[in-house]
Amino acid sequence: MELIDRYAHEVGQYLPSRLRADVEAELRSLLTESLEERARAAGRPADAQLAADVVREFGVPRDVASRYAPEPQYLIGPRLYPAYRTAVKIMIPVLAAVVLVLMVIGQFRHQGEPPSIALLIRATGSFLSTVLFNLGVMTFVFALVERAMHRREAGGPAWDPATLPPVNDPDRISYFGRIFALYVIAALALMFNFFPEWVAVVVFHNADSRVYPLLEPAFSRYLPLLNAWWALAFALNLVVLRQGRWRRATRWADFGLELFNAVILLLIFIGPPVFRYDLLIKVVLQWFLVFSAIKACVMLYRLLVRKTVEPWHAAAAK
Amino acid sequence: MVVGNTQPSLRDNLSLELRRGALVLAVLIELRHEEYGYSLKKLLADKGLDIDEGTLYPLLRRLEGQGLLKSDWRVEDGRPRRYYKVGAAGEKLAKELAAEWKKLAGVIGALIR
Repeated sequence: MELIDRYAHEVGQYLPSRLRADVEAELRSLLTESLEERARAAGRPADAQLAADVVREFGVPRDVASRYAPEPQYLIGPRLYPAYRTAVKIMIPVLAAVVLVLMVIGQFRHQGEPPSIALLIRATGSFLSTVLFNLGVMTFVFALVERAMHRREAGGPAWDPATLPPVNDPDRISYFGRIFALYVIAALALMFNFFPEWVAVVVFHNADSRVYPLLEPAFSRYLPLLNAWWALAFALNLVVLRQGRWRRATRWADFGLELFNAVILLLIFIGPPVFRYDLLIKVVLQWFLVFSAIKACVMLYRLLVRKTVEPWHAAAAK
Repeated sequence: MVVGNTQPSLRDNLSLELRRGALVLAVLIELRHEEYGYSLKKLLADKGLDIDEGTLYPLLRRLEGQGLLKSDWRVEDGRPRRYYKVGAAGEKLAKELAAEWKKLAGVIGALIR
């Protein structure tokens, strides 16, 4: 019966591909049998009306498929959605501020003129494409975390009350902070590797605009080091999220990454110019370097001072 | 709680909750003998447990995915059918659940009296 074929196919469309063919075949067989039984009971041959009754009783295809699917059928579930919404609300004004600052710098450095309406519309278009790119990266990161947390809960050990942390817990993580860090790392890595031309300032000359790339060719020599740092930082954040808290090993790894970060900043600082406005960027780099060094010292101090392992730590580490 | 005042949808939901656990047990017990989806539905209906097909068939797949049932395709009367049978883990679980069910039924029965 054609309606049953269409119904089984429609259910299959909402299922993972590895289940699809098998479930569709089984549904076709079962629904056909159900239809024949119904036709016998009604004392007439199976027709479209009876077939419609059978599939109507079986349920809406999307609902039926959700009963078959063993894994969540959403990208970002209700647990992470509020954090996702907050992250998007933060991202858009931050991007707008960054674009605005770059525009102001460009106008001053290159003696630009007030832009025309047409140019402003074009600038708004490129801002929207930047927002879309970042939205894509952010959605990908949240979806990745959703899957990682789902797998951890599905296959993890039974919950132990001894793992309950104290009220004032220095190792508690901010899920939002960790996920946001993952997004920033992914966005930076993608941008510097695949779209380096986006790191630029746009200068308006009345009816025209000119793009001045910020990166000098020498920047590429630091890319392998930066990629290694981004990969390690991404992995560490994922591990911390999966574990649900800071552990001693991840604290040491974080300290190591901070040192690595300081070394990269130092190499860029003492090396040949890698940015167009080298003097300005070097002032910023200098501050980043000082901040990174202080942060590494504080992390090391905390690691050395906090030697005791609380009972709940031992239980959590099992 | 006055049953007569209970909203139909709430009563339906609670009734569904009540049946859900029993359904798994009933399926595991009936599948000590090999059955395919439709024959199992009829078998359970004949014994007084009428189950929605849209609930039963996905349940069979989930139980198989959890390692409680085994299945294989066979062609009978010119029609391919997927036959299910309880596995060793499913049989063990059915015994445990049955004992739990008897205990619970006894307690609830006593409470109702």
